[in-house]
Amino acid sequence: MSLWFLRGLRRGVVTTRYPKTPPDPWTATLPTPPSFVTDRLDIATADALVAVCPPAALRREGLELVYDVGACTACGRCLVVADGAAVPSGQIELATQRREDLVKRVAIEGGVQ
Amino acid sequence: MTSPVHGPAGLSTTSSHSADPERLADELSRNVQRWFGRSLHIRTIDTGSCAACESEIRLLGAPHYDLHRLGFFFTPAPRHADLLMVTGPGVRAMDPALTKTWTAMPEPKVVVAVGACALGGVYPTDAFTHGAIDKVLPVDVYIPGCPPSPIALLHGLLVAVGRLVDRVGAQPFTTTTTGPAAASPC
Amino acid sequence: MTSRTTAGPRHNPVLAELATGIGSPQPLGHDSGTLHFTVTAADLEHFTHRLAETAGARLADLFAATGDPPDQVVLNMLWALDADDAYLLIQTQLRGENYPALSDIAPAAFVEECEIFEQFGVRPAGDKPLNRVAVPPQADHDIPRLGAAPRHVDGEVHAPHAVGGHAFEFPFGPVRASAQESLYYGLVTSGEEVVDLYLLTWHKYRGLEWRLQGMLPDAALFYVERAEGLSAVAQAWAFAAAVEHATGLRPDPGASRTRALALELERLYNHAAAIAALCQATGLSVGQAGAEIALERLLRVNAAVFGHRYLFGVVGIGGAQRAPDLGPLQTELPEAVAELRAVCRLLSGTNSFLDRLEATGILTTEQAVRLGLVGPVARAAGVAIDARNQHLQPPYDDVAVHPAQGTTGDVLARYQTFLAEIDESARLISELARRGATAGGTTSPRKAGSGLGWAESPRGESLAYVELDGDGSIRRARLRPASARNWRAFDDACRSQNVFTDIPIIEASFWLTVAGTAR
Repeated sequence: MSLWFLRGLRRGVVTTRYPKTPPDPWTATLPTPPSFVTDRLDIATADALVAVCPPAALRREGLELVYDVGACTACGRCLVVADGAAVPSGQIELATQRREDLVKRVAIEGGVQ
Repeated sequence: MTSPVHGPAGLSTTSSHSADPERLADELSRNVQRWFGRSLHIRTIDTGSCAACESEIRLLGAPHYDLHRLGFFFTPAPRHADLLMVTGPGVRAMDPALTKTWTAMPEPKVVVAVGACALGGVYPTDAFTHGAIDKVLPVDVYIPGCPPSPIALLHGLLVAVGRLVDRVGAQPFTTTTTGPAAASPC
Repeated sequence: MTSRTTAGPRHNPVLAELATGIGSPQPLGHDSGTLHFTVTAADLEHFTHRLAETAGARLADLFAATGDPPDQVVLNMLWALDADDAYLLIQTQLRGENYPALSDIAPAAFVEECEIFEQFGVRPAGDKPLNRVAVPPQADHDIPRLGAAPRHVDGEVHAPHAVGGHAFEFPFGPVRASAQESLYYGLVTSGEEVVDLYLLTWHKYRGLEWRLQGMLPDAALFYVERAEGLSAVAQAWAFAAAVEHATGLRPDPGASRTRALALELERLYNHAAAIAALCQATGLSVGQAGAEIALERLLRVNAAVFGHRYLFGVVGIGGAQRAPDLGPLQTELPEAVAELRAVCRLLSGTNSFLDRLEATGILTTEQAVRLGLVGPVARAAGVAIDARNQHLQPPYDDVAVHPAQGTTGDVLARYQTFLAEIDESARLISELARRGATAGGTTSPRKAGSGLGWAESPRGESLAYVELDGDGSIRRARLRPASARNWRAFDDACRSQNVFTDIPIIEASFWLTVAGTAR
């Protein structure tokens, strides 16, 4: 048993200081929902994004992309299809008390072909 | 809280939550820090997850996260629980167990929907699943992610007890080629 | 090492003898590692007898599919010929609502017979009672099936277990301890000893095989990974390989090494989690904390290498969707593995831990063979099966695997199997990383075909079978994670001279998920 005790002492403290400090640096490697680059988004790209999104977190309404961050699994398929129009947002603190806060309306501004 | 109390599809909610939801919700959001700020007991329930969310929740108790230091504890009994963490899309076969767990919890109680399945991201509403937890229970806090990392879970729990503010509402999730639109990724 | 390049029936005395009179079995799809032939319903019993008597033949799965015309059902019986590097798929077009009771010959078929009855309405001959597998009693009429729902379901035979003398039945679940999956135990006990135990697993059945019908394989992969999140890589690899075998795709060697890297990382973190769970079940909190530190570090390595803690989104159809960042494999991974080994060294010298594992939850070799068990559970019982080693596919035809093996079949043997496999996976990762790993090739051609795929998950052999229509969409997808196989031995392991408090220890040593069986 004393071996366990010594090991514990030697190992030191590994506990994160979050929330007193920002999330630890390693969290930069976590998958995050995308941010959309509005002036690179055109209707064709938007439709391709909607088609590739497996959990249907995206749908297009006219010149807006309706984006449900809550439904997003951060699978990264849109990042491949978007050709620079989607980038990882880097956001991991996404919890909210209002479901509607997770639904974003993204303007499709890159209409010029 | 502003989350609506649904006439639950298939679930009977006989607690005072459905008696006067508006008043109770207001009271809860005013008092949540006073009631739960220092010590809060968590019960978990799985309604059809893939087991990854459970794995992340288990790690909350591990040395790297140690949620006890924040005054949170897991409890094996719903009657001792203040907060219910629900994973999975709400499989209908779990309805009786979910109702019993929720009604067994004393008031005031907080429901946290954990993961993309529970938020309606993975399964549609169909004969197998409700598709999202807020279709069956009044959800107070939503934690996105597939699965949410333990840090995201900690953030969600602290939002639930009013010790952190939620910031996602102010995030536009857009940017432009010339620079960040309103907020840049951190 | 050999690599299968020519598609053609291989010479094999077992197969040659079996095939007498029906022509030699043909390769399934574009893969000569799976052979198939068709037998009539009348011959089915005979063939099952002969295979069941063949040493080295293991019933790997039994499932049904809609036939042609669609009101008929095709029964698919899958045997693994482990000694001969082959799977053998025997297909039978059924007429009427009955087929020979295969579980009387090969007991491993029973759970699947129940499942086929629920999904297609055909049942084994005789009137043996069938268990509920996926369809909850309160939803008998509402649940969509893969085929036609049974026209008549027997009345509930809940708890057929004779409870007599001083024994009573203790219901436990489906909501169990914190952060455990939903599962119902029916425990028959006299107070301390486990007299009998049965499981109800339908609480979280999500109808995944039904959902996959009509999807394109690329879209289906998203759900396949979420069938059992803790073996996302293995199940996705099995599924992707099935599609590749059906359509003739060949992943390039770099992409196959990417898959194998992810698969071995998956094994490492699962074994670490199983050891942490063993410590928790034996009440050794210090050991649990130590194992959890290693587990968390391994998950962070996963995120650093592949961008996801549970390795979702790594495998793609025809290759891999992501290339690994090999840097952390050389720096952070060895540290995390060393941490895990240091904890395990202490555990292996702690008698209060070992005493709880020894002679607990024993499964004999005979039981493991009879029930068709796979993975560490089977290997610890002396059955040397490992899909990486016996059903060769790139990159394992190039990087040899030395599988672990135990003899005693108790929890201790399973723990020691985990330890040996941790070392072997760490060695494989450095060998694979040395050869380089890439992404690439992620769309499936739109054509018809059938194929079987496999991969060795941390829990054992994961299988997937697909039938594709001409437009490339899925007509039938069968997912068989290792969990679907090994839960059937859980009651046997719990019954043998164990007490209540042994059950969590046995469950941790099996390290199965409910999601995998209730998929």
